[in-house]
Amino acid sequence: MSSNIGFFLVRRAINAVVTLLFLVLIIFVLIHIILPSPIALAKLYSPNPRATVQYLQTIVNRYGLAAPIWVQFYNYVVQLFHGNLGTDTISGNPVATVLLLYLPVTLELVIIGQIFGVVIGLYTGGIAASNRNRAPDYGMKAVYLTSWGAPPFLVAVILQLIFAYWLNLLPSSLIADPTLPIPHVVTGAPILDALLAGDWTYLYSSIQHIILPAVTIAVIGFGLVTRLTRASMIDALDKDYVKLAYMKGLSKRKVVWGTAFRNALIPIITLIALIFAFSVGGAVVVEDVFEYHGMGWFTVNAIYNLDYPAILAFTILVGLSVIVANLAADLLYAAADPRVRLT
Amino acid sequence: MATQQSTIPTVSVQNLSVSYTTVYGTVRALNSVSLEIQKGESISIVGESGCGKSTLGHSIVRLLSPNANIDSGTIELEGKDVVKMKGAELTHMRGLDAFMIFQDPLNSLNPVKRVDVQLLEALRMRYKLEGRTFVEEEAYKEAEDKLTDVRMPDPEKIMTRYPHQLSGGQIQRVVISMGLLMRPKLLIADEPTSALDVTIQAQVLMLLRELQRTYQMSIIFITHDINVAYAVSDRMVVMYAGEVVESNASESMIRTAYHPYAQALIKSVPRTTKKEGRLTAIAGSPPNMLHPPAGCRFNPRCQYAMDICRVKSPPPVRKEGGEVRCFLHGGSDS
Amino acid sequence: MGLRSIWDHLRRKPIQSTKAGATDAGGAKKLEGGEAGEVSAGMRFYLLYLRKDRAAFVGLVLIAIFLGWAAIEGTLQEIGAYTRNPNLGLALIPSNPNGLFFNNKLLPPSLNSFPNDLFGTNYLGQSILARMMYAAPHDALASVLVVGSAIVIGMLLGTTAGYFGGWLDELLMRLTDAFLSLPGIVLAIAIATLVGGGFTSLLYALIVVWWPTYARFFRGQALSLRDKAYVEASKLSGAGSGRILLRHIFPNSIDPIVAYATLDLGTVILTYSVLAFLGIGLTIGYPEWGAESSLGLPYFPFQWWPAIIPGVVIAVVVIAFTLVGDRMQDLIVGRMTY
Repeated sequence: MSSNIGFFLVRRAINAVVTLLFLVLIIFVLIHIILPSPIALAKLYSPNPRATVQYLQTIVNRYGLAAPIWVQFYNYVVQLFHGNLGTDTISGNPVATVLLLYLPVTLELVIIGQIFGVVIGLYTGGIAASNRNRAPDYGMKAVYLTSWGAPPFLVAVILQLIFAYWLNLLPSSLIADPTLPIPHVVTGAPILDALLAGDWTYLYSSIQHIILPAVTIAVIGFGLVTRLTRASMIDALDKDYVKLAYMKGLSKRKVVWGTAFRNALIPIITLIALIFAFSVGGAVVVEDVFEYHGMGWFTVNAIYNLDYPAILAFTILVGLSVIVANLAADLLYAAADPRVRLT
Repeated sequence: MATQQSTIPTVSVQNLSVSYTTVYGTVRALNSVSLEIQKGESISIVGESGCGKSTLGHSIVRLLSPNANIDSGTIELEGKDVVKMKGAELTHMRGLDAFMIFQDPLNSLNPVKRVDVQLLEALRMRYKLEGRTFVEEEAYKEAEDKLTDVRMPDPEKIMTRYPHQLSGGQIQRVVISMGLLMRPKLLIADEPTSALDVTIQAQVLMLLRELQRTYQMSIIFITHDINVAYAVSDRMVVMYAGEVVESNASESMIRTAYHPYAQALIKSVPRTTKKEGRLTAIAGSPPNMLHPPAGCRFNPRCQYAMDICRVKSPPPVRKEGGEVRCFLHGGSDS
Repeated sequence: MGLRSIWDHLRRKPIQSTKAGATDAGGAKKLEGGEAGEVSAGMRFYLLYLRKDRAAFVGLVLIAIFLGWAAIEGTLQEIGAYTRNPNLGLALIPSNPNGLFFNNKLLPPSLNSFPNDLFGTNYLGQSILARMMYAAPHDALASVLVVGSAIVIGMLLGTTAGYFGGWLDELLMRLTDAFLSLPGIVLAIAIATLVGGGFTSLLYALIVVWWPTYARFFRGQALSLRDKAYVEASKLSGAGSGRILLRHIFPNSIDPIVAYATLDLGTVILTYSVLAFLGIGLTIGYPEWGAESSLGLPYFPFQWWPAIIPGVVIAVVVIAFTLVGDRMQDLIVGRMTY
């Protein structure tokens, strides 16, 4: 009976791999649709927008851009497998190395921010649903509408304005105090590394610096989570087993938060990956405004410099992260819903 | 009605009016409904979809949705005013005094918890409300025994299952046993067999009848099926468009119904004997509950409708051991 | 013929679901739809009941103002471009959004020379209000075009995949899965930068980002509709697949999507503004709502209004769409019956 989880997860894992392959395929196809000729493709790899045709031709030869499409695709996938995401046209470094430097920073930021956003969002969604159409519901509604409707750069800028400039409580940019030495790099994520190294000054500084960006990310996701939780709770509260719970003599609080909420959570879990994707998208803007040196910040610079390999590599990495997040959500879902685990 | 002993009726509903506020307007779901049930009595509330029978059932245990309003009237459970109950008293009432079974087995049990966990939860609450201490092993045994009482094969296995692993009939039995564990004075069954196969239906109905006699519970059986009502209860209450139009002992009702709607209901059941000619349907369509007809709510579909029926609502009139609300049988002089 | 039925479908009256058969103990009036014909609700229904919710009504008014203004101004700009008369687009705007008024640099919001300085001025002295008004048509156009195209593409691909099933369906599911594993912003960035600058390339990018959700939607609808009785009946009377799709499946899939699409109009504007903020899809000489915010950043925090006010305007418009779309969504699902 419990081997069902095993089968379920294996199936999902295979799904994930297939999706990843399709993702790569899509990106590849898009590139080749938009830039059909080898010369045009060469422009992707040239740091100089005014390169001569001869120069571009050498690039074509160097990277084998004139080969038939399926050969190119095969090479592309093989390269990806070996972790080669191309070369950064500006610095000449392999993009993979560069991005991997920044990936943990962004992941740390997004995960911390999202945890806050989701937990608070679940709670407010539950309150809104159980007080449907009364004062708390309307109050929550105002809050989550604003959090959803305000563009991420607005939230970031307002937070910066209030807390960093007007109140002078928190730093306005960067990962940590730049005068501090960086702790020994284990994971690449600043707070984690500081913790592991026991570097308390750096830890304190990096926590201070992560607060505003993380809150921004939390605010971005909070609106969506509240809306979804409220809807899911309302559906759950209508069910007969909730009425049954009342008939067992359970208090309103126990029924709402024990029975209805628990059941409302299940469909939300499947949306966690969606929320994660949403937050990562917002992270690009957040890192830009707060000059938080993560993947998003790097990408914004890459956009500026038309560093195509970097942008494409970023896209693939983000896709990969979301697929992994999806898988994690599937695990959680299987754990939470017995209907999935057992026949 | 009862001149035997002056016991407080288990349920006493007097002139209850309930309405729902919806986007479309105010739905007058119940219009001055009265109902009385004695201890150990089993009655059926019969009517078509939307006639208010479910609303009536839910009102008695205060399970109405937030947009419902109890406009007027009283509901009493063993003499206690239900409408005014709050907080702990309300929880107490719902836990100890009454229990409700629902129509669709699919959603009747909490899908994420095992059967034994849910049954024990019920027992735990009952012990707490009664002020007794909860001993897990004792309780587990009691729960398993109750499953046997409701004729569930393999109770030990069922205990460890999740609701989605059980069939519709099994789920209903689990819910019924949960009800028995709570030892309510009143059991309300809201169309509990409508979603089940006919054979399972018969089993569940017989089970309920048996349990009612054994435990001396009062049962309110809500259904749209007159056959079921007849099989299961001593008395039938027929509702139409939010009003009680007739009530009487089941036997009497089946033999002679007085209200045209009740008569039509009984006639419209297809018989198995070949003698019946055509199927008799009730003419017209169900009423608009936002703006119900003036006077007697059945008058647009009634072949005997008189002028007074379109103007005044008929008051209840005693007739042969039951009550009717129809100007054909009196009441036009009040 | 297919278009006609869709138009009729949108215009028809809602079914009177007030008969007794539509209630249950919860008092929830589910929208009654019989098996025959599967009619549920029309445009009029939404408008009628949106009025009851004050917040959604305000949202509706705001949307009307936004779209109305964008339509007028957009038409003026287009005609102006066509007739080589650029001043036409400036006719209804308080001051020249592209002019240089160094004397009015960075004025805070005030009631002076109303309504010009309502939002203050930026570093070139241009009225921020004027620039926002001038740029509005792009946002409105983007949202309508992107959502519209996504619906059309999604409908064609998703419905056929769902209806015919088999490998076609599998393929579509895999494809949309892959697309949906990318955040919209990220994919839009990739495509837009590849294609190059400009408004149209950004639109293409957004359409590519947006269609998978709708394809999924329509596929789901097709799956549930293809087993309905009237489809069976149609098949029995000899209707070919094309006819069934056109007559039955397409029109009946649209309803639940109308509400989501309204919501989505706001989401497109949100994404579009973020992309503009990052500098993508900009045209020289044409201000963009999102870009305004980033242009104001160098003068931040002392002159806070160029960076913040454009964001607030965007927020208001997006919230308006969300209010209305959310309410419509509640109505369809039957969640908001009171």
